[in-house]
Amino acid sequence: MVDRDRLIRRMRQIVGDAGVIHERNQLRTYETDGLAAFRVIPALVVLPETAEQVQAVVRACHQAKVPFVARGSGTGLSGGALPAADGVLVVLSRMRAIVEVDYDNQRAVVEPGVINLHVTEEVAPHGYYYAPDPSSQLVCSIGGNVAENSGGAHCLKYGFTTNHVTGLEVVLPDGELVHLGGKGPDPVGYDLAGAFVGSEGTLGIATKVTLRLLRKPEAVRTLLAAYDSTDAAGEAVSKIIAAGIVPAAVEMMDALAIEAAEAAVHPNYPDADAVLIVELDGPEAEVSHQFAEVERLCQEAGSSTIQIAQSEAERALFWKGRKSAFAAVGRISPDYYVQDGVIPRTALSAVLRRISEMAAERGLRVANVFHAGDGNLHPLVLYDADVEGEEERAEELSAEILFACLDHGGSITGEHGVGADKKQYLPRQFSADDLDVMQLLRCAFDPDGRCNPGKVFPTPRLCGEVPGKRRVHPVEAAGLAEVF
Amino acid sequence: MAVTDGPELGTQVPPAFDRHHPPDKALIDDCVHCGFCLPTCPTYVLWGEEMDSPRGRIYLMDIGLAGEPMNDEMVRHFDQCLGCMACVTACPSGVQYDKLIEATRQQVERRHPRTRRERAFRALVFSLFPKPRRLRLARAPLRAYQRARVSALLRRTGLDRRLPAQLGALEALLPDLGPMEKVPELTPASGQRRARVGLLVGCVQAVFFPQVNAATARVLAAEGCEVAAPPEQGCCGALSLHSGREKEASRYARRTIAVFEAAGVDTVVVNAAGCGSSMKEYGHLLRDDPKWAERAARFSAKVRDATEFLAELGPAAERQPLPLTVAYHDACHLAHAQGIRQPPRQLLGAVPGLELREIEEAEICCGSAGVYNLFEPEPAAELGERKARNLLATGADLLATANPGCLLQLRASLARLGERLPMAHVMEVIDAAIRGAPAGELLDGRPAGKTRA
Amino acid sequence: MAGAASQGPASEGSGSAVATEPLDAVRRAAGAEHTRPGGPADEVDGVRPALVPEPDTVDRVREVMRAAHQAGLHVVVRGGGTKLGWGAPPAGLDLVLSTARLDQVLEHAAGDLVVRAQAGVRLADLQRELAPASQMLALDPPEPDATLGGIVAAGASGPRRLRYGTARDLLIGVTVVLADGTLAHSGGKVVKNVAGYDLGKLFTGSFGTLGVLVEVIFRLHPLPAAAGLAVVEVATPDQAGAAVRALSASSLVPSAVELDWPDPAVPGTLSVLVEGVAPGVEAQTGTAARLLAEHGQARVLDPGELDAAVAALGALPWTPDPDVLGVKLASVPADLPAALTALWEAAGAHDLDARVRGHAATGVLWAALRGGDAARKAAFVTDARDRLALGGASLVVHQAAPEVKEAVEVWGPAGDAAGLMRRVKRQFDPEGVLSPGRFVGGI
Repeated sequence: MVDRDRLIRRMRQIVGDAGVIHERNQLRTYETDGLAAFRVIPALVVLPETAEQVQAVVRACHQAKVPFVARGSGTGLSGGALPAADGVLVVLSRMRAIVEVDYDNQRAVVEPGVINLHVTEEVAPHGYYYAPDPSSQLVCSIGGNVAENSGGAHCLKYGFTTNHVTGLEVVLPDGELVHLGGKGPDPVGYDLAGAFVGSEGTLGIATKVTLRLLRKPEAVRTLLAAYDSTDAAGEAVSKIIAAGIVPAAVEMMDALAIEAAEAAVHPNYPDADAVLIVELDGPEAEVSHQFAEVERLCQEAGSSTIQIAQSEAERALFWKGRKSAFAAVGRISPDYYVQDGVIPRTALSAVLRRISEMAAERGLRVANVFHAGDGNLHPLVLYDADVEGEEERAEELSAEILFACLDHGGSITGEHGVGADKKQYLPRQFSADDLDVMQLLRCAFDPDGRCNPGKVFPTPRLCGEVPGKRRVHPVEAAGLAEVF
Repeated sequence: MAVTDGPELGTQVPPAFDRHHPPDKALIDDCVHCGFCLPTCPTYVLWGEEMDSPRGRIYLMDIGLAGEPMNDEMVRHFDQCLGCMACVTACPSGVQYDKLIEATRQQVERRHPRTRRERAFRALVFSLFPKPRRLRLARAPLRAYQRARVSALLRRTGLDRRLPAQLGALEALLPDLGPMEKVPELTPASGQRRARVGLLVGCVQAVFFPQVNAATARVLAAEGCEVAAPPEQGCCGALSLHSGREKEASRYARRTIAVFEAAGVDTVVVNAAGCGSSMKEYGHLLRDDPKWAERAARFSAKVRDATEFLAELGPAAERQPLPLTVAYHDACHLAHAQGIRQPPRQLLGAVPGLELREIEEAEICCGSAGVYNLFEPEPAAELGERKARNLLATGADLLATANPGCLLQLRASLARLGERLPMAHVMEVIDAAIRGAPAGELLDGRPAGKTRA
Repeated sequence: MAGAASQGPASEGSGSAVATEPLDAVRRAAGAEHTRPGGPADEVDGVRPALVPEPDTVDRVREVMRAAHQAGLHVVVRGGGTKLGWGAPPAGLDLVLSTARLDQVLEHAAGDLVVRAQAGVRLADLQRELAPASQMLALDPPEPDATLGGIVAAGASGPRRLRYGTARDLLIGVTVVLADGTLAHSGGKVVKNVAGYDLGKLFTGSFGTLGVLVEVIFRLHPLPAAAGLAVVEVATPDQAGAAVRALSASSLVPSAVELDWPDPAVPGTLSVLVEGVAPGVEAQTGTAARLLAEHGQARVLDPGELDAAVAALGALPWTPDPDVLGVKLASVPADLPAALTALWEAAGAHDLDARVRGHAATGVLWAALRGGDAARKAAFVTDARDRLALGGASLVVHQAAPEVKEAVEVWGPAGDAAGLMRRVKRQFDPEGVLSPGRFVGGI
């Protein structure tokens, strides 16, 4: 057992007294992230301010054989920043410097605690922006985005965090500092930056992130189309894709989600069973040509009303309703689960039908908010924890929605991550061998399994002690864990 | 003679809250832990710590309700909340943090034993600020007063050695004062009477910014309002209410209600954001008092911020041009607590020749927050300087806002940076425009707190 | 190196002298009809394999790898064989595992803009299958016979990477066979997917050292309806740099910005490719030409010359010829003038002729060096790296005679992550079965 007081003293030497939190009430405010269903009180919380401090903190954990978990703004929806019991929570919210903006090469180098939207705010006066825009972009951190490979509404056209991170400075779980990728193209060797992004904090802690900046598009056009069914709205999306148009974003909300958004931020959505937000961006001539076509296709699919954003303010209002939708559901239901399943877009109607059948069977309501362009569903299963048995039924329904996604060749998570929440479902998507092979990567980075333990993968596993020939680990011999 | 911390330091009171209006569990449960409030919370912006964010404070309330004790750490994080309510604006789930923190502060005030020096300083502040008479007595050579009275008082309690930062904050805030400008008890409407309104002249505003009250009365009159300013009125209780001093606040509230009821006005106009926001809460504050609950609710419904009222009323008086660039600063208790953002901008923007500029990080508090800058001087100073820098970056000629606390705080913050910027209350700008005063009158080497000759 | 006899590059292409039993096991695994002895065309950097198994199913690939793994045979995987010349000579080679028979396009979900295909499918064949749905895989590496697996393994890319990214950005799922025959998947058929580690990224550009890619899933793009090309002659590297900067800072969205500079003594040509709907292309090409005109003689190509010019974009400046040194230079785009200058100066210093082409706006240049002997070419590589080092640029040798490869590090330094890369390799292929010694840092 590690002496907690000694660890506290060591951490104070590294980050100073103000950077170590160990009082129980204070620690408890860190016991959960954006997914409040999971709670674990960490042994202590450390708030480093520099990469050197992160390195020293991680090294101290390594030496003390103490697990650690990195946390940014704590907005993740899969329990990815859930602390390890008896472990150290490394909170990066004080590392929020935008270190460098290189407009000539369209890159920004930022610390992990920088808030996603602040990057765009910083570079916007020069006509640039940072493309990945998760709904929580006004609070989520770049470090968290890197861990989760965050997407956002505009990733349909522009890709995810992984497509916008070209370089990382990373503290490995033993305290070694390495640079993966960089500013330039095609770094030599394995694409470890690519492997690191989306690894949910299990491979190390990023202390600097090099981001691609994009030139603000010349034109942006946004419309809101109302439909009397999600099927009809889905039909519109199919038509748009079939026409060879790649919108910057296509978002859909169903009646319940519209109701919630209206209650929260009053975006003035039309009264409908489904609304579609379609946004095109790019060079003016191309956008205006394609936008006319999109408008026509939306009408063809039976839209009752089409509103076109006439100003930036109106466009922002369309999006505000969409981006606030998760939290807004708090206005129409005391509790809810958010899921993040993905399906091939063409299976949309079938899966939505299946979801509403399953919900009806359990007497529950499901609000749907999703990235319709890429098939990323966000079913929000509404329930009231005070009603006996509802929470269990909601949990079951959430799981079955994910299984329905898998039945259609999809994935259990499109952008929220597996984390603590969905690790038990990962074996439904991947075979034991698949997971074993993924574990090889973990073993190369974190052979002792102390970096964000208990996340992503379902069972505790150990890495072979030495490379090459594998030996039987004593714990394995005792039948307590599997070995790689 | 050193003051020792009492033996009560470090004590814990289990459970954190008693049964007299603990923070409402149902309101706490509205929080879905999404974190959207974090970047707008001034203390989170400063320190990046969960416990000093709205989400963290709500979490502390929740674990307090669940039985964790109210210890010094917990109290510290509640104390450090500025009560700016930026989180209320940011929250997509509609969490009523204002109600939660108010209830919590009352619990803290009742149940948490403060140290002797905390008690002494609080007693000083609450015996001085809400009392126009005492503040007024203090007006004539203010510096001398500070030396003779405040400092003497503090020296007697030995506080001067213990509270350099708080004392410094107090001293830095108190502006040089110009001549008094009293608002008449009744100002007739010019032209046709469109409304009869009461005007809260307040305590801090009346003493430090009498010219703002005078300007407000003139503007209201010019817009066709008969303006009653009952001389019996005093402090509205905002400072007490926002510090959890429920009884004191209730006393002030009852008196204020009674005074304006007697004045027989349709509307009570307030030109200090913090006052307006707490007067709109009287109904909630006095909800348990069977004699007053209904009267209070009725009164609250009549309260309007001056900018809100004028925007509703619509302009009648002609505005003369004021060739100025003006940065408008959102007072938290106006923008967040009362949701009033457009009316002051609308009023200013309608003045011919006036160019309005927005301030970066507009949603972040300037650190004034009632008496926060006295009780928590360090974070208040940091926030003040942050705001001052954003303010200077606008390149505006003049800062306009609608709250006396912000004016004091920003003036002091600019001074610390070695900078000056002319400041005015929105009402002063409108008054100047209606009177056709030259722009120079608003700019003329006239820092906040000084009246024109 | 149990069981294998080949050691390093063999000058006269002698085959490996492996005991017959393990080779028989490989034959059985791949099927005798799909296995043949290695010939001169199968040599990798002059090393000839004993056998070339061409398994026609994924299961057979696994069998082959199991057999090789058990016997400790060394394996190099080959798709179209177009990029086998990249990399250092193998430290051992017994089998060249060809994916040529894994040539099925398994599923084209047009409505989802996704395709699933076996690794041995040739890119050109895939594009032909996708075209009727007006879709394409937005990869355009210069090697004409490249297979999907080879493109991914080598991280090959072409001009349109400016707009669409590279293989890593378009690959959404992989199936791989590890050195010991283990079959593993990562990613899937949906574009948006963060479940599990992204092994696709890890395998992209891993040059066959971590496993055998057998199946790949890509996201697709609509085929653009129209194309336009604006070109400008640039006289100096600084002019080229200024033109590229102006394009990048504009709101144009070109598919490619390509540079062709056959000889430092004459002006180079910068081409801007615009693709999309006709009205947009017309407008953007015009804007591009106006922008370029500030940096040299610029014009928009006529429809008559367009197709040929577009097809020629992105061709390598070299043809397969061991006498020509081919290098890839990667730097941040703003360093384009410095990179060009460094290249020319280094070439000049060692009396070599340099022809440069490349993706100017992404910072990738290809240079063909002709004229000198192996020693001068090797000296050029070292010299050019020194000159480039300050800007953090990399220079990788893609085509060279064995003597040059022996004298220089083909990949150059991998930075402070080299140790981590070795640990990754040891986890995936602890016995060093796959492409031993061919990759960076001796991996």
